[in-house]
Amino acid sequence: MNDTWTERLSEYIDGTLPDAERAALEAHLAGCTACRTTLDELRRVVARARALDDRPPAADLWPAIAEQIGVSSGAHHVVSLAERRTRRVTFTVPQLAAAAAVLLLLGSGGAYLALRRPPVEGGGAIAQRGPAADLTTSPVGWVQKTSSRYDAAVAELQSALEQGRASGRLDSATVRVLTQSLVTIDSAIVQARRALAADPGSAYLNQHLADTMRRKLELLRRASALAPART
Amino acid sequence: MELTSPGAATLRRDPDQATGGGGTGDAETADVALAASGDGRAFERLYRSHVARVHSLARRMINPDVADDVTQDVFVRAWSKLGTFRGEAAFGTWLHRLAINVILARRTTLGTERGRYYDAENVLDAVPGRPVVHELSLDFQQAIGRLPDGAREVFVLHDVEGYKHEEIADMLGIVPGTSKSQLHHARMALRKYLE
Ligand SMILES: [Zn+2]
Repeated sequence: MNDTWTERLSEYIDGTLPDAERAALEAHLAGCTACRTTLDELRRVVARARALDDRPPAADLWPAIAEQIGVSSGAHHVVSLAERRTRRVTFTVPQLAAAAAVLLLLGSGGAYLALRRPPVEGGGAIAQRGPAADLTTSPVGWVQKTSSRYDAAVAELQSALEQGRASGRLDSATVRVLTQSLVTIDSAIVQARRALAADPGSAYLNQHLADTMRRKLELLRRASALAPART
Repeated sequence: MELTSPGAATLRRDPDQATGGGGTGDAETADVALAASGDGRAFERLYRSHVARVHSLARRMINPDVADDVTQDVFVRAWSKLGTFRGEAAFGTWLHRLAINVILARRTTLGTERGRYYDAENVLDAVPGRPVVHELSLDFQQAIGRLPDGAREVFVLHDVEGYKHEEIADMLGIVPGTSKSQLHHARMALRKYLE
C-alpha cells in the first residue's frame, strides 16, 4: 500500500523535488494506482486549505480591546461601511441628529485643541458656537446647513498644514501620503454630495457624508498637530 | 527578527485586495497614520477590516477556545507597536506577522496544558485503519484543529497562509526538512476529511 514514493508526493505537488527524483516518481506513478490515488487526494487537501474562509469572531472584541488600550468604544460606535451599505436607512432621525451634533462638536472643537493657538477672526466662531441646537430639529440636510462652518475649519487646518510643510516640519514622504489621502477623501465627499443632491432625504447618505467629512477633519487635525504652525 | 519581510504570504489573500473597497489603499494608509498618532476610531476601522483574518489564524493555529483572547492580545500589541510600522509591507502583512508571533508565544505557554488534554484523544495520528468513531463527524476545519501540534502549525502556515518552508522553519525554530515532513504528515491525515 505505502511504498517509498508515497512519502515524496507532497514535495512533488509543491515542486520542490529535484529533477532526477521527479522524473523517477513520474515513471513510478504511471504504474502505481495507489500513489496516483494518494496524489489526487493530497492535491484536494491543498486546494481545500486554500479555499478556507476567514470568519470574524462570534462576539465583538472591540470593546474589550478599546478598554485595554484606553480609547473610548461606546460614544461613537462605528458601523463598518460594508454593514452600512447593506443596512441602508436604518438610522432613526433622532439618532442621526445626535450623531451629527457629536461629530461637529468633536470635529471642530478638537481641531482647535490640536492647533493649540487662539482662533483667528472669522473662523473662530466654530469652536465657541454650540451647533447642537439647530441640528436636533431637522437632521436631514444638516450637512448643507453646516457646510460653511465645516469649510472654514478645513481651510484653517489646511493652512496650518501648509505652514508645517513649508517650514520643513513634515517630511516629504508624510506629505505625499497625506496628500494622497486627502485626494481620496475629497473625491469621496464629492461623490457623496452628488448622491445627496439626487436623494436629499437619505439618512444613509447624510451619515456617510458626515463620516467622510469627519474623517477629513480628523486627518487634517492630526497632521496639523504633527506640524504645529509657527508664528 | 520579528515583523520583517512579507514573504510568500503576500501572494495569497492579501487583505488589502480581499476586502473589496471601503478601508483599503489610501484610506487604510491614512488610518494607520491616524492610529499611530493615537486615534482610536481609526484603529477601530483597522480592527474591523482585519479581525476576521487574525481570528481565523488564531482558531486554526491554537484552539477556538482561546482565539478571542489571542485576537485581543494581537490588536493590543499592534496598537502599541504601530510606531514601528514602516510601511514597507502592507499593514495587513505586518499585522499578520505580529499575530503569528503572538500565537507562537502563546502556544509555548499553553503547550504543557494542551498536551495533557489533547494527546489522549488525538484522532489524527495517521495510523491507517485506526477505528475512531467520532472522526468521521469532524469537518475539515475541526480536523485541522486535531492535528498534532507541529503538523498543525506547519500545515496552517504553509497550505492555508502561504508561507515557504524556509520561513516556517525560521518562525518555528526547526529545519526546513522537518517542516516538509510535518506538512506531508498533516496532508496525509487530512485526506479523510475531504467532503
Ligand atoms: Zn506507489
